[in-house]
Amino acid sequence: MKHKLVRKAVREFAEAELGPIAHDIDRDARFPWEVVEKMRPLNFFGLQVSRDFGGAGLDSISYAIAVEEISRISGAMGLCVTVHNSVGAYPIERFGTEDQKRRFLPRLASGESIGAFCLTEANAGSDASGVETIAVDAGECFVLNGTKIFVTNGGVCSLPLVFAVSDPSDPTGSSCVFVVEKTMPGFSVGEMEDLCGMRANPVSSIFLEDVRVPRENLIGGIGDGTKIALATLDTGRIGIAAQAVGIAQAAFEAAVKYSKERQQFKRPISSFQSIQNMIADMAVSIDAARLLVYRVCAVRDAGGRFGKEAAMAKLYASTICSEVASKAVQIHGGYGYSKEYDVERYFRDAKVTEIYEGTSEIQRMVISRWVLSESM
Amino acid sequence: MASELPWDPKTRTLRRDLAEGMMNPACKQALELALGLGQKEGAQVTAITMGPPMAEEILREAIAMGAHRGLLITDPALAGSDTYATSFTLARAIEIFCPDFDLILTGCHTTDSETAQVGPQLAEELGIASAAYVDEVTVEGGTARLRRVSDGFLETLEIDLPCLVTVNTTNRSPRYVPLSGLEDAFGEVNILSVGVADLGIDPALVGADGSPTRIVDVTAPRSGKENVVLTGAPKKIVEELLERFESRISGLIRQDIRKSDAR
Repeated sequence: MKHKLVRKAVREFAEAELGPIAHDIDRDARFPWEVVEKMRPLNFFGLQVSRDFGGAGLDSISYAIAVEEISRISGAMGLCVTVHNSVGAYPIERFGTEDQKRRFLPRLASGESIGAFCLTEANAGSDASGVETIAVDAGECFVLNGTKIFVTNGGVCSLPLVFAVSDPSDPTGSSCVFVVEKTMPGFSVGEMEDLCGMRANPVSSIFLEDVRVPRENLIGGIGDGTKIALATLDTGRIGIAAQAVGIAQAAFEAAVKYSKERQQFKRPISSFQSIQNMIADMAVSIDAARLLVYRVCAVRDAGGRFGKEAAMAKLYASTICSEVASKAVQIHGGYGYSKEYDVERYFRDAKVTEIYEGTSEIQRMVISRWVLSESM
Repeated sequence: MASELPWDPKTRTLRRDLAEGMMNPACKQALELALGLGQKEGAQVTAITMGPPMAEEILREAIAMGAHRGLLITDPALAGSDTYATSFTLARAIEIFCPDFDLILTGCHTTDSETAQVGPQLAEELGIASAAYVDEVTVEGGTARLRRVSDGFLETLEIDLPCLVTVNTTNRSPRYVPLSGLEDAFGEVNILSVGVADLGIDPALVGADGSPTRIVDVTAPRSGKENVVLTGAPKKIVEELLERFESRISGLIRQDIRKSDAR
């Protein structure tokens, strides 16, 4: 009953507040601050943050449902919410000290500050050990220098997490994570990326030039960075998988509706078997993806290891998301290729779910490692 | 809407089981008004519903929005109750579980049967004053001040507490459900579930047997709209148009169409 009400509550909000603008914010590549203001008191920015720090303290399934429902209306805002919650706030709650949680989590949970996760660099992405951003220990603080790219929420974040190394000769052994304030001297945001999809999210580069970050902003210790990154990405994958399900659902609903309306040869195209087959395949794959997402949530809430389940859900959900969106365009014919119809946006938004938070190739690597080590 | 739900000729009731469970929109307006008044006046808000056990969901939603407690009146003996039996049952529940109430707010009507009867009947059962189709309520001391639009006039009424007010569907956008509220609504919350025995009600007085109303049939009214196509020479068309519609159009635009600048 709770999960049903979570879906209802988020759907009601998303349809009413994001529905009318989802198309325009994509076209204009505009981040809708006015909607963010309305999301704040409803706990969209502290979905799983504990109640003590101002969050809603939701279980993982509720979290996935919330991301799914926002993404069903606007993939770009679903992205903002999932990244903020799962890789912006969660690492602080999981690995931070009491003092760090007290200082940072209420700001993130209220949405006063938007979070981000700065890992990817020109020479680092799937390979986290390629990080070249350097953090030099200067006693009371660390001095950070480097350039991060493709930072989701980059243009709007004010409390991002930044991954660095303190010793370039030992990138894994010296990997570390800092909470960085946007207001720190030397921190700057580059141009917004001109992306294929998710255009309402200000994805950008972030430059760090002699940014002095207090020692008490180091999450975990020196050498913990890779561990934190991997744990964070496991959680982040649940969010992206949920996002992919939401986008696929939107494309599916649009395709079903259109197939009943569009008349060819004097009958609705939904009466043709070739369309029916596509619709059946879409329905099955979305359901299967959704169940994979809820399974990893259940495993996570039960306290189990969920890396494999998260990778499976993310791989499958993002794969079918692209397939479903492509079929939805196909069913719409020429109109589906027009910016007048939303399926064109779903089609563009879908692709990146196969790329970020670990590409499909990386997910297969993760899954096969688990499988091969389990069967030994 | 009544016409959107299929009619079961055997039981002579609407097939409400086919509708997705939801809070009646007018009642949601009443709840929003109650929560606003509750915050302003420091009052306790109790959400009450009568229905099948699944109606508990509505009370959880009400608590997530900010209500302090919920009362679920559910009993197989209540199935098929008409508006009279429903008002009777609600009145007994309120007498027992909310004896010190100041104000009862209900939706002006339901979207399934749209009778708009339960609110006023409930006031009669409780022997209190009532007003229907109200847009705004403010409370000062022992008096409630109400505003409503009636026959094109804006009315301001005063009414002594305790009283019952049915709330219109216009004018307010109910608050969204905060997710932390939903989390709370599934924690240790005060939802009381009661049946006819708890209310000291004779089952013969409620349910289908205790309901005097018999609905004979439900039909959708025929729309009076029709498209008229006038053909012929322009002069003839204009003359015919004026002949057939002049008085109606002049009445609608409130000026003589023959003298209007819009000519």
